[in-house]
Amino acid sequence: MVTRGTLIYIGQRLVLIVFTVIVVSFGVFAVVHSLPGNAFVSDRVHGRALQILLHQYGLDQPIPVQYWSFLKGLVHGNLGVSLYIRDLPITPLVLRELSVSAMLGGAALIVTIGLGITFGVLAAVRQNTWVDYLLTGIAVVGYSVPSFVIASLGILIFGQWLNNLSHGAFFYPEPWTGTYGTLAELSLPAIALGFYTSGQITRITRAAMLDVIGQDYIRTARAKGLQDRIVILRHALRNALVPVTSILGPTVISIITGSVIIENIFGIPGLGKEFVESIFQHDYNVTVGVFTIYAFLIGFANLTVDLVYTVIDPRIRY
Amino acid sequence: MKHLTFRFRAVQSAAILGGISLLVAACGNSTSTTSGLAAKQVLKFPVYQTAGTFDPGQADAEVDTEITQNVFSNLWRFDDNLNLVPDLATTVPTLANNGISSDGLTFTVHLKQNVKFNNGDAMTSKDVLYSWNRAVALQGAYSSNLSAIAGYDALQKAAGAPPSSSSGAGGTTTFRQNIENKLAANDPAFQLSGLTAPDANTVQIKLAHACGWCLTAWSLQGSTGSVVDQKAISIDPVNWWSKPVVQGQPGGMVGTGPFYLSAYTAKQSMVFKAVSNWWGSPKPTLTEVDIAIHDPAAISGDVTAWEQGNFDLIGYGGNSSNLTYPLIQGIKGNATYASQLLTKPKGRTTWLSFNVGYPATGGPFVGTSAAAKGLRMAFALAVDKAGLATTVCHDVQCTAATGGLITKGLVGYLGDGADPLAKFDATQAMSLLKQYDPTGKLTANLKYSFNAGGLNDPVAAYLQSQWQTNLGVHVTLDPSSDASQFISNRLTGKYVMARDGWQFDYNHPQDWFDNLWGYLATAAGANTSGFDDPTYDSVLKQADQMPIDTALPLYKQLAQILQQNVAYIPLYYSVANFAIHSYVKGAGSNSQADYYWNETSIQSH
Repeated sequence: MVTRGTLIYIGQRLVLIVFTVIVVSFGVFAVVHSLPGNAFVSDRVHGRALQILLHQYGLDQPIPVQYWSFLKGLVHGNLGVSLYIRDLPITPLVLRELSVSAMLGGAALIVTIGLGITFGVLAAVRQNTWVDYLLTGIAVVGYSVPSFVIASLGILIFGQWLNNLSHGAFFYPEPWTGTYGTLAELSLPAIALGFYTSGQITRITRAAMLDVIGQDYIRTARAKGLQDRIVILRHALRNALVPVTSILGPTVISIITGSVIIENIFGIPGLGKEFVESIFQHDYNVTVGVFTIYAFLIGFANLTVDLVYTVIDPRIRY
Repeated sequence: MKHLTFRFRAVQSAAILGGISLLVAACGNSTSTTSGLAAKQVLKFPVYQTAGTFDPGQADAEVDTEITQNVFSNLWRFDDNLNLVPDLATTVPTLANNGISSDGLTFTVHLKQNVKFNNGDAMTSKDVLYSWNRAVALQGAYSSNLSAIAGYDALQKAAGAPPSSSSGAGGTTTFRQNIENKLAANDPAFQLSGLTAPDANTVQIKLAHACGWCLTAWSLQGSTGSVVDQKAISIDPVNWWSKPVVQGQPGGMVGTGPFYLSAYTAKQSMVFKAVSNWWGSPKPTLTEVDIAIHDPAAISGDVTAWEQGNFDLIGYGGNSSNLTYPLIQGIKGNATYASQLLTKPKGRTTWLSFNVGYPATGGPFVGTSAAAKGLRMAFALAVDKAGLATTVCHDVQCTAATGGLITKGLVGYLGDGADPLAKFDATQAMSLLKQYDPTGKLTANLKYSFNAGGLNDPVAAYLQSQWQTNLGVHVTLDPSSDASQFISNRLTGKYVMARDGWQFDYNHPQDWFDNLWGYLATAAGANTSGFDDPTYDSVLKQADQMPIDTALPLYKQLAQILQQNVAYIPLYYSVANFAIHSYVKGAGSNSQADYYWNETSIQSH
């Protein structure tokens, strides 16, 4: 049930998100505009032609003036136009790319939670057996090895050695139809992105499960003759999930930021790839636009996780 | 017995397979017709740079024009052999056919009467006027191609500098909307005074001064000389070029060429479709061209995709330099694909520029003194250019630049071995160095600046090694990871020695001598070496006004002036490499651009 306190909390967090977005976007705006070079200059575009382009796109204005114009557009959902692809509206572009990233992020989250909880539960219920050692070993490997290493290894194994997934590339139909690759093609980047955080979830789930299954109410449930499966899934797991949810926020953020690297390794046309490309192409407006969306996403992800706590643990109130 | 049984089964299986094959063949091949053409005439290839703009008034990248040459037409165009041929005009104007007046100042152009835009609208002389006036008003990088037409300066002044818009689209919209409004209202200030339309099928062009290069510049594909549709642009003056043409609906990227934009997803893909009942010739056989926009890093996977038949060719759209040496070797080493590698000279020359005329930047090469010239010559003679082509390019990706700055095969090429700066003479180089820098102080702490990537890194390492070996001079390499910053610095003379180069736009020496060291380059702050010579400027001005036949000796004189002053070290001419399946007929390239898509067909395979 949504209480008045919850609504006030949400309102405060939204204000904080907006404030964060403004601070972050201004910082990025100032930094990218102070980088040397620009999107237009070439052997042919210089002198007057260059000055006209800079003037046309307002790049000859002081940074605060340019930023104020950006903010005004942002309020109306307009992130401006690309400088690299002249005048291409950025908002539809990044929304399209956001949907690709969301698909990858969603798949990675499924990998993270699915693997993490499954491994954690299995390791706990088979404590000190080879199953426990194997799964905790995998978890340790998971959170010890960076995602880009797993991605590179995946490409090497599945792409190069097994010649699978056409060299590990993420495919999409050409011409572009708006659909983003098959489950098989998505699996490798999703595992690369989600495996790292799944190790952490495995570790926390295992610890929480061990704590819970040693408690009296679990012993009581077993004494009543309930099947082990029901005891674990219905009685133990729910309580064990509370500490797991506490790291969901950092997990989601890790996936969002990790996607920048993974999308570039696999060539996935999402926000992360755009972010890196736009920096190299001096497409300032796109860089700032993508960063602004990231700031919004991370703010909302944290807020959503905080609200999920209240559902899983009724003791938490705002 | 077991062995025999196996053999029998093998024969039996082969017979069954053969029977199935015959049955399939008898039922007809779904991908071919009896004429040898494949039933599906769809050409697929990747490009490695997304288009900046397809608007001919503003396009300034090769990928843009290579594609749009199939959508827009000019009054004249270059054929596959770089000859100027009529396109929208009935003839190429000459003095003999009265297309050019005796004083060389007036061009009379008769238009073909059956030309239609691909939305069905008839193309008339008013469309030419609109397109050229618009291109001048937009003031893009190539608007100077129209600069000799009377009224050019006045029109640019009237259009003014575009209003600032900060990062939003407001300013560009206002600027272009303003131009459209003025052109729609026939505002005299927005019309070149030298451009008139005596009737619907005649255009008269009056020049402010004689211009020997104008005809070729006006014919540059997908650029300021291309004809666009006012009606389509007026619907969306800013983004019309990225909007697909939908039959029965106004707007979109409308041209008079044989193909139109059918689908466009920025940074992902483009689809072009053939115009049915196109007015020109040859009629397109391809029905569709699918272009994937990929990262340059994807080329290895794309070659695999090409081998698997997912792409028909690689290298179109100005991407013929993307095939790396290992990939080229891989294709060459494969018996099936070796013959499908097409190698062509590319109209691009790379050289090293000295800081000759920027005293603030300094260095031992500044000025016209004997010492400065001698040291420049020492550094030039110390480089084995043939060795560079072999060591760096493996004699595959480039050839030694020995015939002057203008690439072999183009008008103004001096001939193999004709450039004295291309010679390699280590003894003479050392002798000059000892003469002009006996203590080594002048040539200490030298830097060679270049933008990192591609051949630039191995070329820099090769030069460093040559100077070290043949002169005993250590030159520090100064790579720049940001190409735009490097170009800005180079054009404004911030480097003592820098990588330099030019890819020709149109086949005329003016394109080289004017844009690189001419009075226009100097005025625009784009003279890399700061080389400024009154004789050069005077000869150039004279040559630019003459027909090419009479101007050619003067352009050669300009080349000699640069050589006598040792303004550069010639390095290499680029070579284009394409992977084109043998079933793609009519595909290929000259040193300027890809062949037109309407010359291409896909054979059954």
